[in-house]
Amino acid sequence: MNRLLYLGKRLLLAVPVFLFGITMSFLIMYRGPIDPVLNILGQDATPADVRQLKIALGIIYPDGTPVPLWSQYFKVVTDLVTLDFGQSWIIQRGTAVTDLILNRMPATLWLGFWSVVIALAFGIPGGLYAGLRANTWRDYITSGGGIIWRAMPNFWLAVMFVGVLSAGGALSFYQDLLIQTDVIGTPDALGNMFGSAHVFAGVPLLEALWIPIPNLENLAIAVKWIFPAALVLGSASMGNEIRIGRTAVLESINSKYVQTAKAKGVSGRRIVTKHVGRNALIPLLPVIMGEFYLLIGGSVLVEKVFSIRGLGNMFFRGMLGPDIPLVMALVFLFIVVNITLNISQDILYTFIDPRITLEDTER
Amino acid sequence: MSDTDTTTTRDELTGYENIPVRTRIAEAPRPFLEWATVLIVLIAVEFGTYASLTIATVERAFVGVTALFDILLGFISEGAAEAVVDLQQGVSKFLVGVADAAAALPTLLSREVIPNQGHKLGPNGPWQGTFMGLEPAVAWGLRFTLLVVYALFLSYWVFRGWQVYREHYRQADWTPTDDMVGRLRGHRWGQFGILVLVLYLTMAVFGPALGPTTVEQNIQSSYSYEIEYYNGETGEVESIPVGDANFNSKSKGGGENVGPMSYDNYGRFHPFGTLNNGRDLFTFLMGGARITLIVSGMAIGLATLIAAVLSMISAYYAGTIDLTVLTVADGVVSVPRLLLLIMVSAVFANHWLGGIIDGGFILAMVFAFTTWPFLWRAVRGPALQVAQEEWVDAARSFGQRPRTIMHKHMLPYIVGYLLVYASMSTGGIIIGLSALSFLGNGLGINPPTPAWGRAVSLGQDYVSTASWHISLISGLMIVLLVTGLNAFGDGIRDAIDPETEGTEGEEAAAGGGA
Repeated sequence: MNRLLYLGKRLLLAVPVFLFGITMSFLIMYRGPIDPVLNILGQDATPADVRQLKIALGIIYPDGTPVPLWSQYFKVVTDLVTLDFGQSWIIQRGTAVTDLILNRMPATLWLGFWSVVIALAFGIPGGLYAGLRANTWRDYITSGGGIIWRAMPNFWLAVMFVGVLSAGGALSFYQDLLIQTDVIGTPDALGNMFGSAHVFAGVPLLEALWIPIPNLENLAIAVKWIFPAALVLGSASMGNEIRIGRTAVLESINSKYVQTAKAKGVSGRRIVTKHVGRNALIPLLPVIMGEFYLLIGGSVLVEKVFSIRGLGNMFFRGMLGPDIPLVMALVFLFIVVNITLNISQDILYTFIDPRITLEDTER
Repeated sequence: MSDTDTTTTRDELTGYENIPVRTRIAEAPRPFLEWATVLIVLIAVEFGTYASLTIATVERAFVGVTALFDILLGFISEGAAEAVVDLQQGVSKFLVGVADAAAALPTLLSREVIPNQGHKLGPNGPWQGTFMGLEPAVAWGLRFTLLVVYALFLSYWVFRGWQVYREHYRQADWTPTDDMVGRLRGHRWGQFGILVLVLYLTMAVFGPALGPTTVEQNIQSSYSYEIEYYNGETGEVESIPVGDANFNSKSKGGGENVGPMSYDNYGRFHPFGTLNNGRDLFTFLMGGARITLIVSGMAIGLATLIAAVLSMISAYYAGTIDLTVLTVADGVVSVPRLLLLIMVSAVFANHWLGGIIDGGFILAMVFAFTTWPFLWRAVRGPALQVAQEEWVDAARSFGQRPRTIMHKHMLPYIVGYLLVYASMSTGGIIIGLSALSFLGNGLGINPPTPAWGRAVSLGQDYVSTASWHISLISGLMIVLLVTGLNAFGDGIRDAIDPETEGTEGEEAAAGGGA
């Protein structure tokens, strides 16, 4: 089957999946036993205020009759799909949800990016290392570490890290190591990692274009600051990568084609890079992609403990409000990211492993 | 029906007569009787504990299930919903009464038989009120050790029952189960998992007797109880409400700290130290073990059931049905699980449904609802494989009903895989549950019922102080259980099928995440 056709089919199938997720969230938020009006106005609100707010929130029509649920549902879905997220109800009343999200996005993206990088940087070599030295004490230490690393809850690990790294902790020197950084909170450096250079200043039309110039000091601060949080967030995936990587290496190392290569006199290094490593990557792909899935949920906890001003933290606060438009917008965002990742994983598969046909991935 | 045909064929082929187990036991009752007598004695000495826990759990599950019916019926008619509530309250009241009566039954290894709460008579004087005048630490240690030994022996004895059956009553000389058990015997990692599971089950079942004090006395209504202690300043034995004693036994770092394996000023022994509010951490964690195991057990049981049924249906019928289940499963997991849990938990925080099993019931339902897609994905492969086997085809052409085919010919094949993935997913559920309790604010298990996550959060500010024990020990409880569950899953997988290792789907099921 043609890849494009397959992509189209997957996108078509994604529509009911998307609707399922949105409907579920809608029912919880709009049909659940919560009263947003009470939360916004407080106990001593006048009936007139309540009425006005209810009209503004789209719960009742101006003539006082309640808006039917299906009509609310239809409006919510259309608004979300057209990316019209509305205004925040509680967190920052009246601010556009889009602005809030854009404001918080960089911290979460930065955290997510580094947690994937750190997990990959430690996990995959760790797995290969353990697999190539199977059943030695080095293997036992590495894979044992991976197993425990994977079993540690993110929130607990985060609490431990914050405790040990902050003032008075055993590793508090980290804060002053190389460059001064805080462990909790969000530094200003995050927003100023790149300066802009208008290289085409004076040139008509091209004037508006600029090239990002990294501000090395701020960049260093941001990297060092995010490192502990990213290590925590990537912990479960790292453990998985070590484990799956080890198994995959063991499987391919005992396979016939590696024996053949050995018999032909291929060098050990070439066998590892060309034959073992590449094949070991195949089972690792779902782990790596699954990492993104874990990141979204895990970011709530890690951002909360490390006091990072990111999307996860905002979701938690929005949920306690409850700030329904904000929550719905974030859920929408997460669902879209999730579905996109799922589809791209299946398509990536066909590139990495030529044996997998598109029909297989469909199952 | 055609069922009988298949059994007859098997009988003819194997040459065994189909004699019921009961008859076989009646023919040579001795080994069975020996085994059963010991088992009955073992159960009888702790009967009160088992009976009260079982009935209390049934009661909570009943309240939860009727509550769901109540809500559903509420959409249709008010009267029916009210009738359900009446029934619920009546039955619940009765069951609580029975559970209380059962809890009052004397048990052998209880805190009444081996008491550890006492007080000194003088500055160095002997202890009064403890078991044989021993120090509270020793008395508690004795009871703890005896209970663990008892639980381990009981587990061994249950396994022994299978051995007796195999040796004396089983007709076949060999079954695949023998090989599985044989492989587990050489599997240290899997045995570690089983040991951890047994230990945590012990904590959940015998929690009230394991701790140096009880959740009721020390945590839930600490001002309704008084303890006696030797006051060093006045030189007299005085009495004080537990709540006041707790107030002066806080662990808040610096000078105010009651660390692991130490006594507080009131002669109370704290194996894991105290919390930042002066309550006993060990007792708190035992209470947490019970609620954690009840909730995660309910969740994984339900999820496994759904996954088993759906995987067989989708594998048997394939086509559109398979695609529908796939879409629903993808839809369920399209919202990240922790976010969905936070949503539901926050929305129901002040609702009466959020009060059943201290908030655990609704969480168990959400966990079941969000876990089955992973399990279903993991066993769908094996289910599809078995659906294409010749014996399924044969049974179909035989005219066997699809239900019977799934039950008799497909389920036995996938049940092992289900067990493997279920035990690995339970780790994720436990971590998720404690994460919610950690977040607090109405999420997770409602206070004052102990929860592991809340203990971590209570100790959050004291990690780098003298009171490091609060967060560290609570977290290690979770780590050890999750590691044990993964080890158990590994062991079962290797026992069922030593060839495959680390198949796809496993990591998705095992994911810690939260």
